[in-house]
Amino acid sequence: MPFSPEDQFRADGNNNVPPPQGYWRFAWRSGNGANSLLFEQRAVVVNLGLFGALLLASVIYLSLGSVKVAPTAVLQALFGNADIMASFVVQELRLPRLAAAASTGAAFALAGILMQTLARNRLATPGIIGIDNGATAFAVASIVGLGVSIAPPAMALAGATTAAVLTFGLAAGNGTQGYRFIVAGIGVGAVFGAITQLMLARVAIDTANAAYPWTVGSLSARPSGALQLLMLGLVLGLATAMALARSLTLLRFKDATASGLGVNVKRRRLEVLLLSVALTGLAVAVAGPVGMVGLIGPEIARSLASSRSVPVLAATLAGALVMVLADLAGRTLLAPIEIPVGIVTAVVGGPWLLWILMRPQRSFT
Amino acid sequence: MSQSPTPSMPSLATQSLGMSYGTRQVIDGLDITLPSGQVTAIVGPNGCGKSTLLAGLARLHKPDSGAVLLDGADIQRLPTRQLATQLALLPQEAVAPEGLTVTELIRFGRQPHQGWLRQWSAEDQRVVQHALAAAGLEQLADRPIDALSGGQRQRAWIAMTIAQQTPLLLLDEPTSALDLGHQIEVFELVKHLAHHGRTVVMVLHDLASACRYADHLIAMREGQIIAAGAPATVVTPDLVRTLYQVECTLLTDPDTGSPLLANVRRSPAPA
Repeated sequence: MPFSPEDQFRADGNNNVPPPQGYWRFAWRSGNGANSLLFEQRAVVVNLGLFGALLLASVIYLSLGSVKVAPTAVLQALFGNADIMASFVVQELRLPRLAAAASTGAAFALAGILMQTLARNRLATPGIIGIDNGATAFAVASIVGLGVSIAPPAMALAGATTAAVLTFGLAAGNGTQGYRFIVAGIGVGAVFGAITQLMLARVAIDTANAAYPWTVGSLSARPSGALQLLMLGLVLGLATAMALARSLTLLRFKDATASGLGVNVKRRRLEVLLLSVALTGLAVAVAGPVGMVGLIGPEIARSLASSRSVPVLAATLAGALVMVLADLAGRTLLAPIEIPVGIVTAVVGGPWLLWILMRPQRSFT
Repeated sequence: MSQSPTPSMPSLATQSLGMSYGTRQVIDGLDITLPSGQVTAIVGPNGCGKSTLLAGLARLHKPDSGAVLLDGADIQRLPTRQLATQLALLPQEAVAPEGLTVTELIRFGRQPHQGWLRQWSAEDQRVVQHALAAAGLEQLADRPIDALSGGQRQRAWIAMTIAQQTPLLLLDEPTSALDLGHQIEVFELVKHLAHHGRTVVMVLHDLASACRYADHLIAMREGQIIAAGAPATVVTPDLVRTLYQVECTLLTDPDTGSPLLANVRRSPAPA
């Protein structure tokens, strides 16, 4: 970083610089000069709150079900000193599914807020522009065994990429802006949805039954390995998204403004797009198309956070929270019948979407 | 308050620059040099290529041929971020995310100077305060952008480019949606910036304001430069006719010596 001579003079005052209103500032000196970090107070509070809520929801998730385990016993089981029965239920039965719920919810919501920022349109989530359906069609193809025996995560990634390429190809020229992009995406999604149904209609009933949860979104049948892959992808994806957060904030401006402020807009868009598509593919491989979370998570984050920046972390946490609560409701409300999580989120998310469309506008851009 | 240190003055020029949109060649073989420390206005009829030229200067569009040279180096080869420390851009009808305040907008101007471990330096704090003062926005510092008048809003955007501390400033029709009083607010701020060592280039559709506020005028028609120089020397009734197909009488402003257009009327239809 270039320093002006004046800054060198003032470097000793590095600790006394007043932060912008609403921020905390931490400053220190090191070999390369005066360092400083800013934290937006409201974002810190929101993220801590959402994280706390997620922990609380997780304990409740592990506690409730056909076998009830008291919250204190849940904690004991997690730290390895509960009775065998509680340990088995918590650690073997519920914990992997909790991990699947939290990480798919986080991935869908992160992919959602990235795509919304890219398109400057809060309706432009991967679920709506057909990427979920593309990933699902490919994954179902591998499950019903249509000649391909590639692992579902790889197939889902391939499907997500195919759908994204088609959507962007059909919206050619207009990039990610405007309705053409969304309409093209809805079309692509509809075609892949139909292909999925067609495949299910043509295979034996048992196979179709096995693949059915995939088409609505469910956490009860998780392909082995898919969850581990998703968790790895989520950690890398979230780290990347947070590293990009400063320029994501600038992508909310017109391209010319962002570019004038030093953002390589084309490259950044491509990075954000790839990240969003990859996260969607990995999450669909675990849970099927639960695209509604990609809409709800960012919406909750935006309603809690300030408009100063893109609430990447808050959206991710909110997505995880929504998915955990939705799956908890799906498992317990009509027990012993289990409602697939995709149906729970659709039942909640549909009215939510209508409310977004109908309430007085607080536009996203 | 001390003036923000203006780095050594870089020169901006084009070398046989050619640019097109799709298959339409908009400008071709353009050679211009923008005088340092002055206000240059690019004028011409609609569709003459003036905004395309500005987009080329700001590296928003890639030229098909030729180059834009910053201190003799092709700007296509500069990293985006480095360019943003040399050249600031105010696009036409810039829009801020809803709810953003004046100070928050101005802070974005510091972006090219900041980094992961340098998110808010003493310099950032000082420059943002300076930009607020230079644009006369201290009283409005915490006001949301959408609650400002057109002129105030445009001054806030210019303040953002001031905070960017670039020696070069490009403005695309900075006054196009403003009434006369607000236009003057913006032009006087621009003039002030040039007096303090910035090179300003603005695209204007209004020849009268260009005559009044520019030190250097570039007149374009159909992608070609048809005149360049001080308004008092290059603006003639012939030039005005060539540019806009109108007749006029030229007077000299008794206070400033800049040309004034009077009795503007349609040219008789060509035979």
